[in-house]
Amino acid sequence: MANSQRVLSLYDLPLWDSMERQKMALPRCSHCERFRYPPGPICAECSSMDYEWTEISGEGTILSWVVFHRQYFEDYPQPYNVIAVRLAEGPIVVSNLVGEEPQGSWIDRPVSITYRRHLDRTQHAFKLKAADTNS
Amino acid sequence: MRLAGMAAKTASVIGIGQTDWPADHARVRAGQKPHDSYGYAAEAFVAALADAGISRADVDGLIVGPTVAYERVGELLGLDVRWGGQADAMLAVLEACMAINAGQAEVVALIYGNDQRSAAVNYGGADAQGGSAFLSYIYHAPWGFTSQGALYALMARRYMQERGMSEAELAEVAVAQRLAASRNPQALMRKPITVEDYLASPYICEPLHLFDYCLINDGGVALIIAEASKAKRIGRAPVPIHGIGRYDLNTGATSLEPRLTDFYQPAQQAVGEQVFSMASLGPSDMDALQIYDSFSLHIPLALEGYGYCKTGEAGKFMREHGISLARGLPVNTGGGHLSESYMQGWNHQIEAVRQVRGEAGERQVPECRHVHYSSDVAGKAVSIIYGQ
Repeated sequence: MANSQRVLSLYDLPLWDSMERQKMALPRCSHCERFRYPPGPICAECSSMDYEWTEISGEGTILSWVVFHRQYFEDYPQPYNVIAVRLAEGPIVVSNLVGEEPQGSWIDRPVSITYRRHLDRTQHAFKLKAADTNS
Repeated sequence: MRLAGMAAKTASVIGIGQTDWPADHARVRAGQKPHDSYGYAAEAFVAALADAGISRADVDGLIVGPTVAYERVGELLGLDVRWGGQADAMLAVLEACMAINAGQAEVVALIYGNDQRSAAVNYGGADAQGGSAFLSYIYHAPWGFTSQGALYALMARRYMQERGMSEAELAEVAVAQRLAASRNPQALMRKPITVEDYLASPYICEPLHLFDYCLINDGGVALIIAEASKAKRIGRAPVPIHGIGRYDLNTGATSLEPRLTDFYQPAQQAVGEQVFSMASLGPSDMDALQIYDSFSLHIPLALEGYGYCKTGEAGKFMREHGISLARGLPVNTGGGHLSESYMQGWNHQIEAVRQVRGEAGERQVPECRHVHYSSDVAGKAVSIIYGQ
């Protein structure tokens, strides 16, 4: 069994650099301001090829979650969670919830970005927003 | 909206063939390697020719599945043809129909073989199959997210809350298909299960249980599709194709947008308009469904997407109306990928043909006139209607 690996296309490298700096950025279309995820060369909305790397707010809500009960990667012993987060900027990212877990359904819980070291990389994770964990 | 250029019933299935899946599986589990993908494909082709009652010289078109190389299959089988291609099960049928309609071929052989079990093919982990075609299969691996099962688990969790479906209602899929398999001598998993057995089975990627996942096994399938008038002249029991349709949701595919927001429903609705219009038929005319079921969730998605039940009522439909040979609308009457054989949609095509021919033995749906095949693999919705 091997470790999990990144897809590192030409357009992914700046994303991973931004996470290394703990300031995750995504390409934002210079024309219609749509964010692209995964990063890519053209806007799927308006076909503009112009963009700027723009730091995201790190705010989002959980769209769905799963718990793995089978090990597929050396670096991910089961059980562990995976979440889909709708970023405030629009795109959906797949990540992990760290820290406290909600009681009941995780869907629609507000979360904010954090970063963690994993193998030789820094990558995003999300934690429940404080107001939510206190309730 | 009617964009379909092909007329209904211009192509017919005249032959079907398969390898002996349970025998293949038993030998593989005993540590043997009966065939590679080419051997399984060849065995299925010979069976399909015999079933059609035609000779190899009648074949003038060839399309092979994604697991084998086109030229090598043609070389092995001695097939020089005037039209050819490579596609998955459902697109192979669509493309054969289109080639026939375009006058590019009259008799097309569709051939598939897969040694995925004996070759230890992985669909999750660092060497997950399919990443070159579907970026979503590998892109989220840094967060431990891998396997098509996990993609459907993530979709299922949200679907259950948004549309209202319980785990016990989803269990109806695995239970119904195992009942079908129990009546099918070519199914691998024939011991009936109950909803309680399902709920007691382990999670693989929660909320999906072991019984929500397809099998992994070796085998082969082949079909012969002929131009309809030629089919009547040379075929033993032609089964006409009444309609075909396709709609692909590509936008946002890797970030899982079409999975998690609309559960692929817009694609299925677009295909539904096309395929039912071409066939001049509707959901109420269908006597059985064959639904690509790498995972159980495909079934409620298709039931809602094609209007077999109202949106938000698939769970209730499966529990109250039923989707089995025992009650309601029979779905995956051979056992499907969950219990019969994981032939990546190919087994569903030949099961549809058997049901329309009335040759399905103990699992025959009475007076089966029309069968709807549906798949929604990675948001690529495809439908085929087989009928008398």
